[in-house]
Amino acid sequence: MARRQARVGYGIPTLLAVGLHVLVLLLSVISLPTREHEPSPSSIVQATLVSTETVTDQAQRAEEARQRALARQAAEEAAAQEEQRRAAEEAATQEAQRQSDQAAEEQAREAARQAAEAEAARRAEEAEAETRRLEEQRDAEEEAQREREAEEQRRREEEAARQQEAEEQARREREAEEQRQREAEEQARREREAEEQRRREEQARREREAEEQRQREAEEQARREREAEEQRQREAEEQARREREAEEQRRREEEAARQREAEEQARLAREQAEAEMQRLIEGADERVANAQQGQQAANDFIALVRRAVEQAWRIPPNVSSGATAEISVRLGPSGELFVAEISRSSGDSAFDRSAVQAVEAAAPFAELRQLPAGVQRDYRQFNLRFRPGDVR
Amino acid sequence: MNDAMSIPHLIMNASTVVQLVMLLLTVGSILSWVVIFQRTFMMRRARKAHRGFEDRFWSGVDLNELYREVPPEQETQGAEHIFRAGFREFNRLMPKTRSPQAILDGVQRSMRVAWSREEERLNLHLVFLATVASASPYIGLFGTVWGIMGSFQSLSMAQQATLSTVAPWIAEALIATAMGLFAAIPAVVFYNRLSAESGRLLGKYEDFAEEFHSILHRNLQGRSDAGGA
Repeated sequence: MARRQARVGYGIPTLLAVGLHVLVLLLSVISLPTREHEPSPSSIVQATLVSTETVTDQAQRAEEARQRALARQAAEEAAAQEEQRRAAEEAATQEAQRQSDQAAEEQAREAARQAAEAEAARRAEEAEAETRRLEEQRDAEEEAQREREAEEQRRREEEAARQQEAEEQARREREAEEQRQREAEEQARREREAEEQRRREEQARREREAEEQRQREAEEQARREREAEEQRQREAEEQARREREAEEQRRREEEAARQREAEEQARLAREQAEAEMQRLIEGADERVANAQQGQQAANDFIALVRRAVEQAWRIPPNVSSGATAEISVRLGPSGELFVAEISRSSGDSAFDRSAVQAVEAAAPFAELRQLPAGVQRDYRQFNLRFRPGDVR
Repeated sequence: MNDAMSIPHLIMNASTVVQLVMLLLTVGSILSWVVIFQRTFMMRRARKAHRGFEDRFWSGVDLNELYREVPPEQETQGAEHIFRAGFREFNRLMPKTRSPQAILDGVQRSMRVAWSREEERLNLHLVFLATVASASPYIGLFGTVWGIMGSFQSLSMAQQATLSTVAPWIAEALIATAMGLFAAIPAVVFYNRLSAESGRLLGKYEDFAEEFHSILHRNLQGRSDAGGA
């Protein structure tokens, strides 16, 4: 009967009430995301971004750049190998030049040139225009160097010939001197004999002494002269030797300087090529990274543009729901509108006009400046597709 | 965007005042639902008890026996409470006075008191339900107004007044109104239903009191006739 539980407690009602609220909360949390998805297509009804012509293009470009960088790297490696080979050849050629005579050197140079030409031809097939230009330049320099070396060689030989001549001359002079000396001595002897005869003939020992004195003096004189001559000769020889040494020194230095210069140049060229390759690889990487990062920023930008255009769009009345117009939009660097033109008409001029007006009304898309600098350029041109939905 | 606009996210990001309003509304809603459940159970039980007591009362059982079934210190409810109060008063007055009018007046007064206590018991907490029903929309509206004020303040600080700058504020502000309505609507519905139920029960108690009064009146009339004769 009713008396068993006269009072209704509050425990069970409290539990029920709290349970009800938790249930409602759970329902709101679970069902809301799905409910939020449904209205979104109807709200984006008006404008959809068709193509930015960049996202795909960019990826493609990055791919191309990477391939190009790889090709260039291969070419650079080949070029470096050739360069090493050529350096070895060059060394050999120089060795031959130094050791052999003109003909042998000519031959070696010819062979080297032929090899280099063959190399250059092969390289021209595989290397890029830049590297080819570099190689040609280097070739020309080499040629010039070789010519310079030939000239040097000729000059050196002439120098040697001149020097020999000078030596010959000096020798002849020395001989002549000696001849003269000998003649002088003969003369002196003859004179002495005559003198002696005369002395013996007419005068005593004093004269002979005087004669002897004179003779001694003469001998002294001759000796001094000889000594002076020898001195002069020695000096001349010394001079010639010094000149020769200086010449040699200068030549060696020049040679070394030239070689150093050539090496420096080759190294510079190699470094430049490497740096360029590195830059290309980095550029490709960066572009790939940018393509991802930029895409995210770009999605935001696209959404902003779309929303702005949607808000500004006044759909004219009596438009068939299937009408679709595409507006191609070109933006300035700071997001201002350059051109908005109909790229694909819907057939309804009022509708097309309303779409263009919507873009113009929404126009300064200042958000463009917030995009990464590399991506900005890509998003300055895009197409917008306008399609009236069932919702105004 | 979806995540940012979900209801829990909005509640978490709301300003303090709006959060307090929401908390108040949540508590009010929970309490009102406690009241709704408790009252519903109690009404159903009172209805059942009343039906059982009426069946027993009209089954021809002796009233003295019925009265003695329950020990006098035990508290009873509903029509039984009225019957016991009236019958106790009747039994007490019977030896003291011979005037049937005085006895009937005393019995009637006593039954009215019992009825009034029953009314109070049935309508317990229904006032709270009525308060929640009428006040929570206003409380929610206050939260909304406060939130909209905040949204306009943020709008004045933003350089570019786009919809996305004010949308979260407005959504968050509107959540307060939604919660107020969420608390108020069941409170209104169940307040009406429960008060109608209690009114119906009280009407039945009143009917029973009248019927019991007429029975007593008949008995007294018979006795006075017998005493007079």
